[in-house]
Formats: sequence, structure tokens, C-alpha cells
Amino acid sequence: MSTLTLQNVSYKYEGSERLVIRDVSLSFEPGNVYTIIGKSGAGKSTLLNLLAGLDVATTGHIVYDGVSLAEINRNHYRARKAGIIFQGFNLLTNATALDNILLSMHISGVKGINKKTRALELLEKVGISPEKANRKILKLSGGEQQRIGMARALAHNPELIVADEPTGNLDEDTANRVLEVFASLAHEEGKCVIIVTHSKEVIAIADEIWSVDEGVFRPVPVNEG
Amino acid sequence: MKKYFYVIENALLNLSKNKGRNFLQGAMIFAVITTTVIALSIHNTSVTLISEYKAHFGSEVSISPERMPSNLPGITAEQALAFSQSEYLRDFEVSEPDDSSEAVDAVFYLKSPELLEAFAAEVRGKGLPDGYKVDIDRDAYARMVTPLEGLQDISFTFLLIVLALGAAIMVLLSVIAVRERKYEIGVLRAMGMKKRKLAMGLGVEIIAITCVCYLFGMIAGWLLSQPISDALLTGQQSAELMNAVAAQPLTSVKISVSPLTALEIFGVAILLASIAGIISVRQVTKYEPIKILMERN
Repeated sequence: MSTLTLQNVSYKYEGSERLVIRDVSLSFEPGNVYTIIGKSGAGKSTLLNLLAGLDVATTGHIVYDGVSLAEINRNHYRARKAGIIFQGFNLLTNATALDNILLSMHISGVKGINKKTRALELLEKVGISPEKANRKILKLSGGEQQRIGMARALAHNPELIVADEPTGNLDEDTANRVLEVFASLAHEEGKCVIIVTHSKEVIAIADEIWSVDEGVFRPVPVNEG
Repeated sequence: MKKYFYVIENALLNLSKNKGRNFLQGAMIFAVITTTVIALSIHNTSVTLISEYKAHFGSEVSISPERMPSNLPGITAEQALAFSQSEYLRDFEVSEPDDSSEAVDAVFYLKSPELLEAFAAEVRGKGLPDGYKVDIDRDAYARMVTPLEGLQDISFTFLLIVLALGAAIMVLLSVIAVRERKYEIGVLRAMGMKKRKLAMGLGVEIIAITCVCYLFGMIAGWLLSQPISDALLTGQQSAELMNAVAAQPLTSVKISVSPLTALEIFGVAILLASIAGIISVRQVTKYEPIKILMERN
């Protein structure tokens, strides 16, 4: 069963007549890494916002586990089902890295584990030391903030992970480490990972590549990505 | 219930994270509570005293010639005794007549000030001649009650102004605070936090600030209400009682903050906090996370 299916999805911003997404029908399966590529302004991030349940399609349906996102509680969907990694990080800047992750776990209602231990493990996984975990976000670099955003997205162990340029601020080594995490999440843990990117390194771990231009999505053979 | 603990914990942590804004908000709440304590304690004390003075001076009736000087002989002990047999009275005092006349000084204590007219009609029915008035000591009443009524009016007007201004300031501060925290709200909503919990967190913050300000405001108000009351009373004396006669006018009233006043002020504080909370909640529910984050990014 598909984790997420798009059925004739179109989208335009309020007050605009221009369709940013045009009649897209796609399926995203568990256990795969998907990358979405395309020029700036082509509609990649807009699609990601729709998949993350942050916005709703103007027409058509985005279906998760058989139910349209327009019909379910999208707070619940974002808190429990989807993990979102933002290009702009969107962390609570006056809180520590650890607090950001713990708060996300609380919001998601994570139970039955030691939350602090789990949060530190996740931070370690993306290369953030326990010492840095207790620093406020504003005292960390862009790359570190990006990885904290990633750890936060994984805090509630979601089935679906959507990421917008997750390696944009990372050096090569760290980017490779992060990509290994994404690949492992999909191929070993069976998650569905959808990444918007311009990076060839990210495209290299993809099982499926979609190119978007003027809101129209086309598949790209993996070896051509 | 347990699922809300983190909301409360996070709200309390936020108090120390946003010191500047919370201090400003706290200072305004403190000022509103302090001035409310002053106004309400002066108002309540003056209401109580007016009621006591009214009962005291308004029920103390004497019978005397309408015009002075007068050649009327005054009432006799027999008349005084006859008048004292009235169901409207709780007590009376009659002085011994002096050697030069049969007239006595009599004071009749009504059961309540409202019975004055009925008592006057009764004594006239019992033979009190024309030319005598049956009345309370209006000069003493004026000396004691008029300044208090002035104090009561001033404190009540002040209270209304403080509450109106306080509510307006609280609303304004809440609007500013929520605007400043729009990004934080957007992030929390994007993480899936429900509007209800977000609103609860903002409510806990404002109530926690209000409770701390209530304690300090009560102390400051309690310390300041006596000197302010004395100053206002002095103003009342000079304005209204320059022509008062003889006896000592009222120069000081012992202001007290009763448990009821403390409770009323707590009610006012919670009401203001609720107004601020409702405004915050209305704003929070207005925002969609995607719009906030797109604006920011």
C-alpha cells in the first residue's frame, strides 16, 4: 500500500490565478527515497508543504493510508505521521537543541521511552554532540541547526519524512553522514523519504526521481538524475 | 490531564526565556493591580464608613426650635417621655431640667435613619407644637459623611479609569506579544501542536505573570492606599467643608484591605488576564502555520 498518493492535485496561492502545481498524480511507497528536482520557483517546496500537511490542495486529493489529508486532522498528521525538515530549519531559537526535540516528542505524544535518551541518540546520529545539544539554537551554526531540524523530524519515528534541501548548509562529510541516515531510514526501516533538492549527492541515493517544471511533474530515470 | 503537563511546563519555562517582554507585561499588570488595590480599598472602606456614619448620625434625632434665637420654651420632660414611647425608637436620652425652666434636652435614637419622617409625624400627632423641628444633626452628618462621599466618588471614578485603561493596555500588550511570537507559534503549529494547547500555554504564561504581579501589587497597594487616602481626604475637606461649623471634621480614615477586597482584586486581575488571554487565543487561531513560516523564510 502506498504511504502517500496524489490524485490530480493542483494548487494555486490565494489571490493568484497561476497554478503552481498542475494536475499531479503520484504515489510514494514505503521503503523508498524520492527526490524532487527542478528550478527555483518550479513548485517543489509547494508540493512538499502539501505533502507535509501544512497546506491543502486547491483541487484533487492527497491521500495518506487511504484517507484524504483534507478530511483528517492535519495537526495529528504532522505530529504523528509526517516528519518535516524545513529548508529554513524553523527551530525555536530561544530554546536549546535538546528542548526543541523534547518538545516535538511531547507534541507527538511519544510514550514508553526515555525521551531525553532518545533525543540525545538522534542528535548523535546527525552529528550533534551532547554538549552542543544543551546550547541554544542561536549559538549553533547553520549546518548544526539544519541537522537539529532533521533530528526533530525523526523524533516521533514518522512513517513519512519530507525534507526541503536538507544538505544545503552542510559540508561534504556531514552531508554524506546525513544522506546515510536518509538511506537507512528508507531501506532498513521502511520509511518513505521525500527530498526536494538540487544536490547531485542527494539525487544519488534516490530510488525514484521526479522533475518539476512549471508545476508539471515528470519521472526522471534514476541513472539520468 | 498528563498530556497537558508539557504545555504548562513549557509555558513556565517561557517566562524566563522572554524576560524583556514578560517584564513589560508584568510591570503593566503590577501597575493596574496596585492602583486597583488603592482605589478599591479606599472605595470599600469609605462605603463601610458612610454606612456606619449614616446609621449613627442619621438616627440621632433631636427636637429644637426651627429658628434661632427663639422664645419657644423647648420640650418638657413629660413630652420627651411621651415621645420616647415610639415603636420607631431603639433608645432615647433625656437630660435633667435646669432650675430656670422645665425644658429638657432629649435625643431619640431611631431604629433606622429612614424612620425619621414617620417619627416626626408621630410626635406631632402627640402634641409637638409648630415651630419645632424634628431632625438629625445635619452639620455633624455633613462633616463626617460628605468628605467620605467625595472620597468614595473619586476612588470609584479612579477605579473605572484604571480598569478601562488596564484592559486596553493588556489587550494591546497581548496583541504585540502574540505578534512578536508569531514565528514561535508557526513553528509549534507546524510541529502539529493543537491550537487549544497553544492557547492554553499562552494562558498559563499570562496567569503566572498575573499571580506574581498580584502578590507584589497587593503589598504596594496596601502600603500606598493610606497616604493616598489621607491626601484625598484633605482635598475633600478644603473643597467642601470650609464652612463647616464647630466640631472636628474628618481628617483621616483608617484604610484596610479586607479579605473581600483582596478577593475582588484577584477577580479583577484574573478578569484582565482572561481578556488578554482571549485576545491572544483569537490571534493564535487566526494564524495558519504555513503563512507564518513562509513570511519568515
